[in-house]
Amino acid sequence: MYESAKKIYPREIGGRFDRLSKLATISLLGLFYAVPWLLWDGRQAVLFDLPERKFYLLGLTLWPQDFPYLALLLIIAALSLFFFTALAGRLWCGFACPQTVWTEAFIWMEQFTEGTRSQRMKLDKAPWSFTKFRKKASKQFLWITFSMWTGFTFVAYFTPIRELGAEILAFNVGGWTLFWGLFYGFATYGNAGYMREQVCKYMCPYARFQSAMFDKDTLIISYDERRGEPRGSRSRSVNPQDAGLGDCIDCQLCVQVCPTGIDIREGLQYECIACAACIDACDSIMDKMQYPRGLVRYTTEHNLHNDETRILRPRMFVYGTLLVILCGALVTSMAMRKPVILDVIRDRNTLYRELPNDLIENIYTIKIINQGNAPRRFGLSVSGIEGITLDGVADEVLVDGGGVLSLPVRARAHRDNASGVSEIEFNVEAVDDASLVMGEDSRFIGPTP
Amino acid sequence: MIDEEYRGAKQWSRDKQAVFTVVWISFLSAAIATMVFFAVFDPVELSGYFDEARDLSRDAGYAIGFFFFWLLCAFCSGVTAFLIRTAPKRDAKHRRQ
Repeated sequence: MYESAKKIYPREIGGRFDRLSKLATISLLGLFYAVPWLLWDGRQAVLFDLPERKFYLLGLTLWPQDFPYLALLLIIAALSLFFFTALAGRLWCGFACPQTVWTEAFIWMEQFTEGTRSQRMKLDKAPWSFTKFRKKASKQFLWITFSMWTGFTFVAYFTPIRELGAEILAFNVGGWTLFWGLFYGFATYGNAGYMREQVCKYMCPYARFQSAMFDKDTLIISYDERRGEPRGSRSRSVNPQDAGLGDCIDCQLCVQVCPTGIDIREGLQYECIACAACIDACDSIMDKMQYPRGLVRYTTEHNLHNDETRILRPRMFVYGTLLVILCGALVTSMAMRKPVILDVIRDRNTLYRELPNDLIENIYTIKIINQGNAPRRFGLSVSGIEGITLDGVADEVLVDGGGVLSLPVRARAHRDNASGVSEIEFNVEAVDDASLVMGEDSRFIGPTP
Repeated sequence: MIDEEYRGAKQWSRDKQAVFTVVWISFLSAAIATMVFFAVFDPVELSGYFDEARDLSRDAGYAIGFFFFWLLCAFCSGVTAFLIRTAPKRDAKHRRQ
């Protein structure tokens, strides 16, 4: 039956893994907000310039035709996710996923304005008052400001951030830019402020299929049932063995700190995002009780059953080998990337033209794309038919750094050499570097004999 | 003796799950489709095919493309979810016999 989701109030807990998670959150968010401000050679270091259809990545300029690199990069990212999931479980979910990271930041703001877990629960139950309004309003103010800043930063990956900042200060932002900024800001606000763990539970495909990458040697967070049960409260002076109790004092702290609201003692559950908050919580209690730490801990299924954990297993070799091969392919193809691209399009409207002196003429559009960052001079030539010449082209053409030059050219050949269809080849050669030559095949059509 | 207050979230209703999952997954698919599509086609060149007179900017082209893919994907997964959710149950037939 329908039951609306209850709000989860994760309790704050300090500890080893909390520090790790704070470090991850701050460095990942810091990276996201800082990168658009970086400069490289006087332009934004990372900029996906969609209006110009160019991607700037540090010293590299990528074009739409470089799309395979992006596809390869995405495949590598997916495969690394598989690799690390098989090795160490849901590290991604607990420490690196944007959903987790932004939720963490939003919970900090919530704690800052509304206080601890119990204060927040009391505040929500309390009737509206000035204090409640002030706390709620200041939380909303922080959330909304942060979301807007996030939207602004997101858009800045696609629009130069300094110009964008000036436009915003002048209240003169382009329609689509404004729209996407608000869109992303609102998505952040909704996902990190309100949806939180529901996204992981109901909307995330990875959360559902990650168990396929799990085996008995995968690092998981687990409660040591054999050590903990039977659970029960007791005073610190009581020896648990004498009282017939395990080490779990049933304090509920591991449940209260859980951001997805599960009880880790019920075993491995797909809702668990492996944030390790329950480890910190349990360790703090074990310290207080002067029991050894690790009643809830990072372990493997094999380890829990006193078997040996194997890190090197066939699954790891398969994922690892594929990763190495793909990374190698990416690096090699990037290194072999030609700094110039030649594109030849034959004019489809006319087959050929007959000129005086028994000459036959074909028309082409030549595109020279200079993928380097400096302007360059190129010479253009054609071969494949005896005596074929180009007309209407200067000896040298200048193409700007990162620029495209579109040239209409006429190729001419004597009709005795060019009957029917002949294969020809266009060549561009950099004037300053004779080793930089690109060829492109095309066809020359003449009258049928 | 776990205090119900501590026991976190109960479930979303099936309808809410279906709606949000369809919207989110089609959003992701649309993002990928937009990326692949516009890596090959330039919106400015494309707009010429549909309407010579209209001068469509690239920004608008990308946005229209994205929302078109989002709608298309949402339609596809929405209908799929609907058909699966409303299909007659297999064991219902057995029970009648």
